[in-house]
Amino acid sequence: MPNSENINPTPRKRHPVTPKGLKWSLGTSLLIVIVLYILSVYQTTAFPNRVVDGFPIIFNFVVDDLWPPNWSYFDRVAMSLLETWNMALFSSTFAALIALPMSFLAASNINRNAYFYQFIRNFLNLLRTIPEIILAVLFVAVVGIGAVSGILALTVFSIGILAKLISETVEAVDPGPLEAIRASGGNVFQVISFGVMPQILPQYASYSLYVLEINVKASVVLGFVGAGGIGLILNQQLSLFNYDNVSTIIIVLFLTITIIDLISNRLRGRLE
Amino acid sequence: MIEFKNVSLKYPNGHQGLKNINLKINDGEFVVIVGMSGAGKSSLIRSINRMVTPTEGKILVDDQDIITFNEKKLRKLRTEVGMIFQSYNLVKRMSVLRNVLAGRLGHTGTIRSMLGLFPQKDIQFALDNLDRVSIHEKAYTRADQLSGGQQQRVSIARVLTQQPKVILADEPVASLDPPTSHKVMKDLKRVSREDNLTTIVNLHFIDMAQEYADRIIGLRDGEVVFDGPIDQVTEKTFEEIYGRPIKEDDLLGGDDD
Repeated sequence: MPNSENINPTPRKRHPVTPKGLKWSLGTSLLIVIVLYILSVYQTTAFPNRVVDGFPIIFNFVVDDLWPPNWSYFDRVAMSLLETWNMALFSSTFAALIALPMSFLAASNINRNAYFYQFIRNFLNLLRTIPEIILAVLFVAVVGIGAVSGILALTVFSIGILAKLISETVEAVDPGPLEAIRASGGNVFQVISFGVMPQILPQYASYSLYVLEINVKASVVLGFVGAGGIGLILNQQLSLFNYDNVSTIIIVLFLTITIIDLISNRLRGRLE
Repeated sequence: MIEFKNVSLKYPNGHQGLKNINLKINDGEFVVIVGMSGAGKSSLIRSINRMVTPTEGKILVDDQDIITFNEKKLRKLRTEVGMIFQSYNLVKRMSVLRNVLAGRLGHTGTIRSMLGLFPQKDIQFALDNLDRVSIHEKAYTRADQLSGGQQQRVSIARVLTQQPKVILADEPVASLDPPTSHKVMKDLKRVSREDNLTTIVNLHFIDMAQEYADRIIGLRDGEVVFDGPIDQVTEKTFEEIYGRPIKEDDLLGGDDD
């Protein structure tokens, strides 16, 4: 039968693009999601009118309390900010150094022992489940209030992230060169340094910068539990109701983080 | 000398790669293994440097059974048995020279090699080998800037820098166009003659096999179905190896010279 006879000028039956069953299940899923949203509004009492009513309070807070910022407080902010930066820099560097060997152990194409590989993977997962604020509380208890506890907390926190990211990069490398080095009698260290490292170097540098970026932000929060940096004075000034000082801190912090993100993104863009 | 004695290889998934192989390959021979894909060519070649491990039999390399080798002896064996791959297996982001120097890793201490501290004579040797495959001027170029034929010649230079006694080449020209394939095969044949290396090459184009081999081994379904010097090989031989008439696809062509 020629193909043209198959085309009916007036189709007797409608043919849906989306099958009926799928339409039903999509519709039901959407309905369930909407119901969940409504329930969560009731549970959290996040009714829209509360937000609308609250706007004047926010406005008054900004205009009356935060404005004008106390610029004479800038020197103190700058010093604390420098401490925050140094905390982030140290912890990112330590994490980058420690995470690299760990990521080879957490990559199945390098660590051929299935049990050891799983152990390292689970350990890293465990590390990532601990919030950095808990780590900070722990380290403040161990080494006392100050930047050192912050550095330790951020280091442990970043190792979890970095090792995970790098190990995934390691697992995705071109296996050819690794095979070639194995076939020429190279040992596992030589496979890593000649086969893997040249392939992952751009991503390694990029992820380390990314972690530095995260650490600058995370270290602000850590100051609230006494782990040093700008968070420490932010917490102090808030509890003393020195809102003009608080506003100086916020403005300086905002500018710094924006600049760091900008530079880091530029560098990472070039690496990849 | 390389000797296979009743070698069989069964992969964990149940696939029988090699069936009761018995072979003797003499020093300095240029052997081409032919067969259709899946015939066991790769399994055979990769057994010689234990990239795969046969499940039965013995493989004697210079009278030592390599199947019993431990990790340390295996690395020693692999420094003496160089390998060339279909996809060149160079580190693309690394310079040509560094890639060639990777051939020295088996001869260089771990710490030294990780720091990239190769002796000056090794670097000179690597450059000399690049010269032998006529890409000396590309030494400091990144490997991914080179054409396929050039990359495969770099990998020949890498193997030479390893100073092996045996070269295994697993489909070395399967990713190259016909004229380039012939150039690469000529280079391979020439250097292996010059250094008197035993060379075992997998090929699936029968005209290439006939042009470069001293001896042809035919495999079908993991078994040796032909083994003889090149002057005994006719089109009939290939039809027996392939188990079907020869087709246009089995020929590469393209040798201009």
